[in-house]
Amino acid sequence: MAEGKVGAVLVVGGGVAGIQAALDLADSGFKVYMVDQSPSIGGVMAQLDKTFPTNDCSMCILAPKLVAAGRHPNISLITNSEVLGLSGEVGNFEVKVRKRSRYINEEKCNGCGLCAQKCPVEAIDTYNKGLTDRSAVYVEFPQAVPLKFKIDREKCIGCRTCQEVCKANAVEYDQKDSEIVLNVGSIILAPGFEPFDARLKSEYGYGRYQNVVTSIEFERILSASGPYAGIVLRPSDGEIPRKIAFVQCVGSRDAQLGNNYCSAACCMYSIKEAIIAKEHVPTKLDCTILYMDIRAYGKEFDAYYKRAQEEYGIRFVRSRVASITEDPATGNLLVHYVGEDETPRIEEFDMVVLSTGMQPPKNVEKLAETLGIKLNKYRFCQTNIFTPLETSKPGVYVCGAFSSPKDIPESVAQASAAAAKAMAIIAPERGKLISVKEYPTEKDVSQEEPRIGVFICHCGINIGGIVNVPEVVEYAKKLPNVVYAEDNLYTCSDDTQKRIREKIEEYKLNRVVVASCTPRTHEPLFRETVREAGLNSYLFEMANIRDQCSWVHMHEPKEATEKAKDLVRSVVAKARLLKPLKNPTVNVTPVGLVIGGGVSGMTAALELANQGFEVHLVEREKELGGHLRKIYYLLEGEDPQKHLQRLVKAVMKNNRIHVYLGAEVTEVSGFVGNFKAKIRLSNGEEKQIEHGIVIVATGAVEYKPKEYLYGEDPRVVTQHELEEKIAKGEFNAEKVVMIQCVGARNEERPNCARICCGQAIKNALKIKELNPDTEVYVLYKDVRSYGFKEEYYREAAAKGVLFINYSDERKPKVKNEGGKLKVAFWEPVLKQEVQMEPDLIVLSAATIPNPDNKHIAEMLKVPLTKDGFFLEAHMKLRPVDFQTDGVFLCGMAHSPKFIEESISQACAAAARAATILSKKALEMEGIVASVDEDLCSGCRICEYLCPYGAIEMLEKEGKTVAHVIEALCKGCGVCGTACPTKAITLGHFTNEEILAQVRAILKEMEVATA
Amino acid sequence: MTKQKLKFAFYWAASCGGCEIAVLDINEKILDVIQIADIVFWPVAMDIKYKDVEAMPDKYIDVCFFNGGIRNSEQEHMAKLLRQKSKILVAYGACAHLGGVPGLANLHDKKEIFEKVYGQTFSTVNPNNVFPQPKVHVKEGELEIPEFYDTVRTLDQTVDVDYYVPGCPPAVERTLFALEAIAKGDLPPKGSVLAPLKSVCDECPKKKENKKISRIYRVYEKVPDPEKCLLEQGILCMGPATRGGCGARCLKADMPCTGCGGPCPNTPEQGAAMISALASILGLEEEKEKYTEEEVEKLIEQIKDPVGTFYMYGLPASILRRKVIRE
Amino acid sequence: MSEAQKDFEPKIVGFLCNWCAYAGADLAGVSRIQYPPNIRIIRVMCSGRIDPAFILEALKNGADGVLVAGCHLPSDCHYLSGNFKALRRVMLLKKVLKELGIEPERVRLEWVSASEGDKFAAVVRDMVEQIKKLGPNPLKMEETEGKQP
Repeated sequence: MAEGKVGAVLVVGGGVAGIQAALDLADSGFKVYMVDQSPSIGGVMAQLDKTFPTNDCSMCILAPKLVAAGRHPNISLITNSEVLGLSGEVGNFEVKVRKRSRYINEEKCNGCGLCAQKCPVEAIDTYNKGLTDRSAVYVEFPQAVPLKFKIDREKCIGCRTCQEVCKANAVEYDQKDSEIVLNVGSIILAPGFEPFDARLKSEYGYGRYQNVVTSIEFERILSASGPYAGIVLRPSDGEIPRKIAFVQCVGSRDAQLGNNYCSAACCMYSIKEAIIAKEHVPTKLDCTILYMDIRAYGKEFDAYYKRAQEEYGIRFVRSRVASITEDPATGNLLVHYVGEDETPRIEEFDMVVLSTGMQPPKNVEKLAETLGIKLNKYRFCQTNIFTPLETSKPGVYVCGAFSSPKDIPESVAQASAAAAKAMAIIAPERGKLISVKEYPTEKDVSQEEPRIGVFICHCGINIGGIVNVPEVVEYAKKLPNVVYAEDNLYTCSDDTQKRIREKIEEYKLNRVVVASCTPRTHEPLFRETVREAGLNSYLFEMANIRDQCSWVHMHEPKEATEKAKDLVRSVVAKARLLKPLKNPTVNVTPVGLVIGGGVSGMTAALELANQGFEVHLVEREKELGGHLRKIYYLLEGEDPQKHLQRLVKAVMKNNRIHVYLGAEVTEVSGFVGNFKAKIRLSNGEEKQIEHGIVIVATGAVEYKPKEYLYGEDPRVVTQHELEEKIAKGEFNAEKVVMIQCVGARNEERPNCARICCGQAIKNALKIKELNPDTEVYVLYKDVRSYGFKEEYYREAAAKGVLFINYSDERKPKVKNEGGKLKVAFWEPVLKQEVQMEPDLIVLSAATIPNPDNKHIAEMLKVPLTKDGFFLEAHMKLRPVDFQTDGVFLCGMAHSPKFIEESISQACAAAARAATILSKKALEMEGIVASVDEDLCSGCRICEYLCPYGAIEMLEKEGKTVAHVIEALCKGCGVCGTACPTKAITLGHFTNEEILAQVRAILKEMEVATA
Repeated sequence: MTKQKLKFAFYWAASCGGCEIAVLDINEKILDVIQIADIVFWPVAMDIKYKDVEAMPDKYIDVCFFNGGIRNSEQEHMAKLLRQKSKILVAYGACAHLGGVPGLANLHDKKEIFEKVYGQTFSTVNPNNVFPQPKVHVKEGELEIPEFYDTVRTLDQTVDVDYYVPGCPPAVERTLFALEAIAKGDLPPKGSVLAPLKSVCDECPKKKENKKISRIYRVYEKVPDPEKCLLEQGILCMGPATRGGCGARCLKADMPCTGCGGPCPNTPEQGAAMISALASILGLEEEKEKYTEEEVEKLIEQIKDPVGTFYMYGLPASILRRKVIRE
Repeated sequence: MSEAQKDFEPKIVGFLCNWCAYAGADLAGVSRIQYPPNIRIIRVMCSGRIDPAFILEALKNGADGVLVAGCHLPSDCHYLSGNFKALRRVMLLKKVLKELGIEPERVRLEWVSASEGDKFAAVVRDMVEQIKKLGPNPLKMEETEGKQP
């Protein structure tokens, strides 16, 4: 075993969380070993069709991450493997790993797939959840990373056909399992979850009735790469269903099963599945969601829920499903359920989707034992509210669904957060075990005629189902300077990258065009590919024939095909003129600026400091703590004030953190790696600092209600005010009515404020603790106690807190009648209006955006959502990044959240920031403006146009000429467009290139319509 | 050894005649020209018929200086003829180069022009609405006059052009530059504009400091500070978008450039270049968050006669070439 | 409206900024919001990169309409104020176009955010309709009728 600390990290689990953690670590200078039981990485997300609430194609957004992990020089993928043993201690662990045999030599296999084509065996396709067959030699899905085949020896008949056909001689029937030992400094566990086994709810008939499927099976049914190629069909007879029921909470919120937790993501994924199903079914399709509470608690989720009802006409029925039976004659299903009014009903459906909850992964006890970590009573990883990333064993961290059921963005945020933790303890070892990616020497193609290769993507059937891709390929072949064109099932897959590199060699291509999805997500991947083939990465161009063609012209295949041709032609016209560009590098100031000194800001600052970076922490108030200062107790029982004191102390005594209280950031200029900020200090002085990144942690505020007599009657208070009363011993009411969703889920603010249900339950329990006889009524729309908070909801109900549902049509009414405070509401079981005289009405007031957000957003040039929270770069996969490099966000500035979630996000922001701060220099984008001094006449029109101050005027040989400071240039092109002599050119978007595109995009349209 | 003398020709098409005078603006240097060249065709100064030109062998003329745009059939015929008879055809002056001021007639078509000129001017009495016809039968036979076209074209939209001498009219130094290059046989690649690459600003002596303007003045509305850039004082000056080589002669007389030098070498179009440049700096000072679309409308409204401003010389050479007139 | 005009399918060239409008157009795709296939999009990084010459060139080459779309005013622009430049350039150009006999409505300036897939689709739908009413780009007619040299 090596001495001292080791600059490497083991990541267990290759789902989206594991991948994110691995990428953050690897990008920050640590060696990563990623061990996954499956033959390829990607986890559950790779099986999903779309993701909520943006309906992004899951594979489309995941594939670039798979590829990035697969090709990262600092990440070793150890797939088809499991952890056997752990020894050593934090900073220096030894991990024993068993690599199970694939019976295929990974080094030799090139993923061509010939073996699978020739294999005579039909085995169950687990990726498609058994809905189709696959061969005994297989990869899980076409975009698999690594794209290495595996023989399923249980199914293999040993005919050796694959061995005969394999040109690479990769088939090794005699391959044995092997054991390897990894030396790492810390460990991240991201083994994900297991969908609940629906057979255990035998009353729902899963496994007996073919048309009862699980939600993950239904994802595969919806997917273009699924068993029915994206057409929704009933498994029993291949008919298109007309009526589908989604049964919620299968395996979750179920006391009988002992699963007293909410799986947190099912409501949203069911809404998504219902929406997508309706989009996929050409005929009329009724979707009904049978639910207990719709838990659309996340950012922008309620808006999605609303759209599902209003735009898509999805029916939501608050109910409990007792059982499902089948009509054997038709295969239809009879769903027996009890509605809100407690009346039993039976309704017939063509198909039923069971929204199965999340369970801890299989064999988790073994893993826990091997690693010496504790599990909670549901066998999820045990964590603490204030240390949501730490397992019970020092140096071993956890992220994703293994610590509690959660959706993708939260898993991704936790993954980055765990990476921050994992790298902090081995921070001095940064950079010691990594290798730097080497590229082949760039070919000089400046003297060559353009030789363009065109790769056109089917994107499964996303493009190919509408656009006639082979026709576009044939068309592309005839375009000037195109010497090669082909179509790919997925141009983004790892094997196609290899193919593109091969074709560049074979056909001496010096320009590459890909026609597929949007360059906004996929251009970096392909640029990297051409660079690996020795071409300058800017000799690449993309045509968007999916997002802006096949997906928006789904019913006009002919026109879409013509449009795709036009787009390809236009891009080829540009490609002919493309010139290589150089990427300037800039030095990084290894200092962070954190705006906001609440729990998120302090945590982020500490995490950065723990990694060895200097941090400036600016808080507008005179005291650190933010929102947390007003929180006196938590649902889970921990003392928030103690944690706050610990945190403040740690921040104040850390000599890498400079705290400015009563101060404000007034100006931020510069760019990633090289920011300059002005801070107005409490004494009115101004301080200027230099920093490499910014973390926005400005929190949120409590809504001051205008409704329900708040502010008029002192007996109407908010949850926070109630909490304060209780904490100060001033609470003495005997009858309390709480009203949920005040200032949220309404016209003005359509989204859920997430934490108020938890607050209400917390305070209700506290009241019951003080006096079990106090009556507490909670008037709610949906009780959104997701995850393990469900337990407390149950506890509250058990202790006699009455939860009564209300709808928007029948909101509670509060009035003061001659000094008597009265509340009237509709009781849905009794079906009548009830009136009460409580001593106290508690409003669950929403958490709303900090009014400063607008100003900060403008200062940093980052966007806000419609609601006024900060808008991250990508709702699913970049939860704490902004689109602007070097600027990150965390905590309630992002959206309302519980303290453990804020802590996770804060650590995540620190990890993301570390990927920048850990580098001495950053390679910048090559698309910048440049001045031809022979043409510049010194008119100075450009000078003040540049918002980044990237243009300076120089005196040269007695003449004034403009000059672009490359490191400041963002590549917008405003200067060159204004330049009256066109002495300024923006690389990659030159006049010649764009004008050629304009001409080509129009030229043959006439021919096509003639 | 006496070198054989070159043969020069000069022709005047749709232009004002100023270019003819400009040739003489080189003053005593004209004597040097005579030393090296014989003038074989110059209708304004010599008595010579078209048929004499037709009789010349092809490429007989070494250099033909052609000024004026093409707006009728006679000019088109002569352009083609002189192209055939000349080794080098030079578009001399803004009209041949860009269409010139007569090119602004592209804001109208033949019908509109005839109706105005032969029908609606104060001094015209034309009760029978008689308009010129290319062919008229009279008792002596058929009379033919050149056909008037709808559109003024530049010389190179009609025939292949070897070189361009910009300016309205070309500055003395441009003419001399061309003559010297021809005399020395030291000509740049075909298609070149015989002028420097940079814009008028490069030659303009006025001080350029801060190009943020919000108020626009027409020339008569303001007495400018003679030391400062006129554009910065709100006077529309085409100098930034106009190829130099004129010595910024207008600016030296405190008048703004109107753009006769044509576009700079990299620009797709002179007018668009100035539109883009001017719109970029107009109101820049108060840009941040202040402007509504209505306010921008007001800013833009200050620019009177945009086509006359941005395309005074270059409408036929512009991307769209003319106004669309629908019946 | 003549028979020819009724069947006429306009060709529209769209110049879209990468961060807002292009992302909005992508979102329309992701959300499967359908719109007529008459538009061809050219991506630029900022609406401030859209040169009036590009619009003129599109019209000359037969575009019946040109859409310029960028980030919302005043402060959505990824590059701070490129959208203001686009606004002034396009408005001035439209003034010129009017004098040159081309309906300014053929050139349309819109602000579309990355979250406005529906708006993008609506803009295209509306634009196609409006341009069908205007009829084909007169420059194309001129070419066939011989007025344009």
